[in-house]
Amino acid sequence: MTVRFEQSKPQFTGARVERAEDARLLTGRARYLDDLDFPGTLEVAFVRSTHAAAKLVSVHAEAASRMPGVRMVWTAADIHVTLDSPEFGVNQPVLAKDEVRYVGEPVVAIFADSRYAAEDAADTVEVTYADLPPVLHIREALQAETRRVHAERPNVMYHQEYQTDGFEEAFGNALHHLSATFTLHRQTAVPMETRGCMAAPDGATNRLHVYVSHQSPHGFRADLCKFLGVPEHAVRVIVPEVGGAFGIKAMFYPEYVVVALAALRLRRPVKWIADRSECLLADCHARDGIHDVDVAFDGDGRILALRDHLMGDSGAYPAVPFCGSIGETSLAARMLTGPYKIPHLSFTIDCTYSNKAPLGAYRGVWGPPASFVQEGVVDRVARALHKDPVAVRRINLLQPEDFPYRTASGFVYDPGSYAESLETALELVDYDGFRKRQREDRSRGVYRGIGISVFVEPTAMAASEAGDIPYEAATVRMEPTGTVTAALGLGPSGQGHETTMAQLIADELGVDVRDVVVLHGDTDSAPYGGGTGGSRSGTIGGGAALTAGRKLRDKLLALAAHLLEADVADIELKDGAAHVAGVPAQRLTVQQLATAAYTDVNRLPEGMKPGLEVMARYQPTRPITFSNGTHIAVVDVDVATGQIQTVDYVVANDCGVLINPTIVEGQIHGGVAQGIGEALLEELKYDTEGQLTTVSLSDYLLPTTHDIPNIRIRHLVTPSESKGGFKGMGEGSLIAAPAAVVAAVSDALEPFGVMVSSMPVTPDQVLEWIDADQEKKVDSVDSKVYFEN
Amino acid sequence: MIPSAFDYRRASSVEEALSLLQSTEDAKFVAGGHSLLPLMKMRFASPGMLIDIRSIQELQSIRRDGNRVVIGALCTHRHIANDETIVQALPALAEAAGRVGDLQVRNRGTIGGNLAHADPASDLPALALLYGATIHAEGPDGPEDYPVEEFFLGPMTTALRPTQLLRSVSFPVPDRGSEVYEKFAHPASGYAVVGVAAWVATDAGGIIQDIRVALNGVGYCAYRATSVEQALFGREATEELLEKASHLATEEVEVLEDVFASENYRRHVAAVFTRRAIRRALDKATR
Repeated sequence: MTVRFEQSKPQFTGARVERAEDARLLTGRARYLDDLDFPGTLEVAFVRSTHAAAKLVSVHAEAASRMPGVRMVWTAADIHVTLDSPEFGVNQPVLAKDEVRYVGEPVVAIFADSRYAAEDAADTVEVTYADLPPVLHIREALQAETRRVHAERPNVMYHQEYQTDGFEEAFGNALHHLSATFTLHRQTAVPMETRGCMAAPDGATNRLHVYVSHQSPHGFRADLCKFLGVPEHAVRVIVPEVGGAFGIKAMFYPEYVVVALAALRLRRPVKWIADRSECLLADCHARDGIHDVDVAFDGDGRILALRDHLMGDSGAYPAVPFCGSIGETSLAARMLTGPYKIPHLSFTIDCTYSNKAPLGAYRGVWGPPASFVQEGVVDRVARALHKDPVAVRRINLLQPEDFPYRTASGFVYDPGSYAESLETALELVDYDGFRKRQREDRSRGVYRGIGISVFVEPTAMAASEAGDIPYEAATVRMEPTGTVTAALGLGPSGQGHETTMAQLIADELGVDVRDVVVLHGDTDSAPYGGGTGGSRSGTIGGGAALTAGRKLRDKLLALAAHLLEADVADIELKDGAAHVAGVPAQRLTVQQLATAAYTDVNRLPEGMKPGLEVMARYQPTRPITFSNGTHIAVVDVDVATGQIQTVDYVVANDCGVLINPTIVEGQIHGGVAQGIGEALLEELKYDTEGQLTTVSLSDYLLPTTHDIPNIRIRHLVTPSESKGGFKGMGEGSLIAAPAAVVAAVSDALEPFGVMVSSMPVTPDQVLEWIDADQEKKVDSVDSKVYFEN
Repeated sequence: MIPSAFDYRRASSVEEALSLLQSTEDAKFVAGGHSLLPLMKMRFASPGMLIDIRSIQELQSIRRDGNRVVIGALCTHRHIANDETIVQALPALAEAAGRVGDLQVRNRGTIGGNLAHADPASDLPALALLYGATIHAEGPDGPEDYPVEEFFLGPMTTALRPTQLLRSVSFPVPDRGSEVYEKFAHPASGYAVVGVAAWVATDAGGIIQDIRVALNGVGYCAYRATSVEQALFGREATEELLEKASHLATEEVEVLEDVFASENYRRHVAAVFTRRAIRRALDKATR
């Protein structure tokens, strides 16, 4: 089933086609939201809550109204829209009303001739707060006596339980058990281009044009229209170039309603672009979860049963339209057995409100936490039994004959190269050689460790943070000159869809990839679609491009057969022309065919309609296709300072048929970089008052090129059943990477008995773990034994 | 992330800069701007006027003057790091200047701005202390020199008067020994979480004849770790003694705490980097 990747037969699909997007991106000609500048545009500054939990005693914005250049000031008294989450019975006023629930919550909006004027006016607003005790920790929120974040609702906003039949027996009968707690601290995506939107009433059509940096143009339009109470045909959403999105731009935020309503009220363009502090304060956050895990295993390291109490911090409100804590925990729970044959699973999920920013989607969503737990469990079993972590993986991994495989939670995995990906990555990193060198290194006081992360990535799911649209649509139009204009409802933010979709369409139509332009991001030109998220665009969007391309191809073939007076089965379409098989001279260029289809319609065969334009939708037959692979990280830990450097990194990746290996590798590079950030650097820190203390990039630590080693990648190809054989791969690298990096840290610190139990791993934490172990060694001889029985 | 309104003037001579400074209440000099502008964007500083001194030619040179090197206030970190005179005469200064912030900061940021700003986590104050530099200022009452020991008064606070301009810094060139700068750079800002400048001179038997150790990033301003110096003075730096002495690095100061590093952690790495700096200085070929 699995084959090594080779350039596949079609001319463009599978080839390293240069990205159509790159020329404009690399020469600074791309136009992002803030590059759009309409005459008379007002800019917005928000006054945001500086208190985590407080009653709003008074909001005085009169002085701001009188500041030069200020056109309007809004408080909750002026705008009554709430972001409703009916399923939770909680509604967020778009400007805080009566009470603030997190630092960074918008309280006042100031509309002025420039951002400068707006910010100056914002400085004059006086807000009086009466503090309430903030709720800041999950375990605290789980206690019934803790103050409620929403007086009318309990703090536990989501609870779920699941257990396989026979779990207790399997767990109880096992020879060995161990327990561990895994903690993931809060972080956020931090796209290079911050969030923002601009709304401009269109005088010509009397519609509202909304420009927004977003992943799902149609999803955004639906949410905006719902909250504004206007019909969808009255709103045109345009997504310009997007400088990174990563899930946080799949969310809907209060600022968008404020901007759109102000534009309608003032009949002027109104623009708001988040600054970096707003990005860190008020973009949706991610992670912030705890897993209390119990594992049962036999003497060989075979894992027999896994139990997890997953706890997720939702923040102050359920993010719209995707509550991140529920998304992270519920899918993590179901994916917890990962690539391993673990027959029994039991989980309990609790998600709680807190006085922190709402939790939404960030690339990988459930995956980094689940991989952290799943790989952490395997490594703990290996260490408890004094076995090599590879040996324990080999015992537990799914093998080729196991597919299709039904997991303990009921997912059915389509075929993948799980075991092969591990062996491939081990070979790439020279695992056996590493272990030999590691012993020598340790004798010299150098602590170098290796960490393995075998991942499974459910992709192209019917429902994701991008919405619940299980299909994608594409229109493909061949123009009278034979060039092609296509449009899809995707929302790319750097994934290169203009290139990959053009590759697929060009191969279907036998034209040059440069003769295909792919439009997206405008609800006036794009067919209704689900946007980009949940690793769905390549598979579902690609399927739509193929379906539409095929439909148009069929028409071209029929037309060519008719004009060439040949059987349609004998027509070949390639290199910009249709010709009769074996008779190259008997040919018509696509331009000739297109011209005929549009302007010489008397020559069309009977029953064929003029024109060359199709619209097609594609819905995969399987609700999910699972990508897989193995990441291996090598790190050095300076045990004197706790500093960690990632020194080597390999990836064996299987996302089915590759459309463009360069783009796939780019996605992997980015995901690994974000994974190293998640594992070692990135943390949103709230203090005991609920103040976010990491509100600039000098305190919120992002990975830089210095932190990322050269990444070596090998592709494996297990085609999916989807059209084209594609599997999604947008998130797998970030799903796998943090677990690989922290596992490498654990491995490096094995002589100290350290097993990483929280992310990110900070230098001071490393020293604490080492010190604690040294104290334990004095106190107790069996400190490294994890067994409970 | 947007500064409040301010006036901008460009001075083309020291005299013009000083007279502009006197013309208004709350003016600030700006050269590289890499310390001041971030503060203004966060509205932690809101000067009414910025006086750009960047184009004052006479403040841009590095020259050897007998046994001293005189560095103009507007010399950039990159200039200092690569200047042959400094690399030869003041190698630890070159090393430190080459590790300030990142490439953009080194290309724009200046030694004068760095010292006058007196950020506790700046790299160069420790070097000024290490070498015993003199800061040369110019004011309405004429020139005034500050020995470095009297210059740094606290975080963002120096002895420089509000009416004065820092013109240059002169460094005496050591006639023996060797010196290094070791730094634990903050992962985001590149500022020193801990920076240790060490200068050591030993005799043929390895006995320490003279030693200076200066730290930044640790306390409210850069300081000489005199306890470390005294513990090692006149003795041979065995590993055990060095280890013990290094732990005295934070004896005399209140150790800072920030989002990245707790007080305990900073105290710990201050000792580690002090040991590493002294060890490397000892291992380096002497003058």
